[in-house]
Amino acid sequence: MLSIRGLRAGYGGRMIVDGVDLDVAAGEVVTVIGQNGAGKSTLLKGIANLLRNREGAVTLDGENVFALSAQDLLGRGLAFIPQGRSVFPGLTVAENLRMGGFLLRDPVLLRQRIEAQLEAFPALAKLLGQLAANLSGGQQRQLELARTMVMQPKVIMLDEPSIGLAPQVVEQVFATLRTLAAGGRAVLMVEQNVRRALQASDRGIVLELGRARLQDKAAALLGDERVARLYMGKR
Amino acid sequence: MAFLEQALNGLMMGSIYALFAVGMVLVFGVMRVLNFAHGVIFMAGGYMCHAVMTHVVAFYPLALLLSAAGGAVIGAVLERLVFRRLRESLPMQIVASLGLILMVQNGVLLLFGPEAVQISVPAMRTVVPLGPLGVTLQQVLIVVVVGVAMAGLHLFLTRSRLGTAMRAASQDLQAARVVGINPDRVFALTFALASGLAALGGALLGPLFLVFPAMGDLPLLKGLTAIVLGGMGSVGGAVLGGLAIGVLEAESTLLAPTDYRDLVVFAVLILVLLVRPYGLFGRRLRGEP
Repeated sequence: MLSIRGLRAGYGGRMIVDGVDLDVAAGEVVTVIGQNGAGKSTLLKGIANLLRNREGAVTLDGENVFALSAQDLLGRGLAFIPQGRSVFPGLTVAENLRMGGFLLRDPVLLRQRIEAQLEAFPALAKLLGQLAANLSGGQQRQLELARTMVMQPKVIMLDEPSIGLAPQVVEQVFATLRTLAAGGRAVLMVEQNVRRALQASDRGIVLELGRARLQDKAAALLGDERVARLYMGKR
Repeated sequence: MAFLEQALNGLMMGSIYALFAVGMVLVFGVMRVLNFAHGVIFMAGGYMCHAVMTHVVAFYPLALLLSAAGGAVIGAVLERLVFRRLRESLPMQIVASLGLILMVQNGVLLLFGPEAVQISVPAMRTVVPLGPLGVTLQQVLIVVVVGVAMAGLHLFLTRSRLGTAMRAASQDLQAARVVGINPDRVFALTFALASGLAALGGALLGPLFLVFPAMGDLPLLKGLTAIVLGGMGSVGGAVLGGLAIGVLEAESTLLAPTDYRDLVVFAVLILVLLVRPYGLFGRRLRGEP
């Protein structure tokens, strides 16, 4: 579904991501792990064309989409949820959902898509008039996912989806990502909560100094002593 | 009676300040651009209205619409050619807008000469009774047009797809990008809208006062005062701030000579900055005293 070849990306003149190759298939959850500064977030921003300084190849469903803008990428089915809270705090839940379908010009289709997301995330249905700023962290994450799903993307990229969430909510978020993958989407995420993320993933990629040092099945990475020592705090 | 009369005068001038301040707040809120050249767009509105009335058709409502549209076009062009490149640098924005003021004012001097011009709309001088008071049709028109413009702006920002996108972009630009909002288009639209409102203000004020190259300077200062009073970033605050300043300066003429009214307004500005620097309706930022 999503194929990256030789991606280099960075800020100013400095390349943080230095020639990464990776593939994510439909129905698959892939987690990128690595230490702070390894280039995980830069990798996702580079794929989503949110950085000026980037080179390489990005293919979506066999089509070269490297040069497409972030808006056009979303239109083709590649969605990105950035790190931290990315809801619009001063907009209501309903307005946030409508903004999720900003590219949809058909109001009937937009309403149908939003209704579908309210069925998938029923807790949001009772909060439509609330400002997003007043939601709990877990509710905001649900809103981000629901807002993203309004466009029915084929690939969803998430930067640290568990950050700042209570453990119970983290479980819900990862369960939701598994459900989305089971529905045929490809999920690529960056996570610091390595153990839990790999448990919810099919494959993992270890990023070191901007390069993919290791790619393997998630279960294999969970059992890898070096990975456990470096990224899961095991002594 | 005099108090009421000055309150009405203040409401009229306050409407113009509000129109001006709202445009600046929109541009700053969405783009983080402080455009001091907003005053020359206000002035351009006055000249465009005069040009339409003199050379095209002497129909004031049409001249108002064309002036606002012309201001919007000027704003979109300025955003594309000047401010888009300077989004990240506040000092450069200030230098660029001061340069624009000099360029536009001197350009107008070159085109129209140093003599002030007057937009003549005899029908708007008609005095209509309002209870015990008498107001001109132009004064009524200003309050009504600004009221309609503000209501329209409110509906646009809260009900329309593009208006909601503008609010979204003002809150989180990266999140706006990832939901498919094109920031460049939103910025151009914001600048066009704000400039259209400024030009409308100049065209509305033209028949009451003279139109001259520096006619936007005082509204710029009063508009900035309205923004500080209302709270930077608050559209509603800018409207209330503008109206409050208009009424305050008009009422001050009952207590002190007319020449002192600007002094009263700017004394209030200093007082607000000292006592409540985030404005009467703004929110305190993290780390702000």
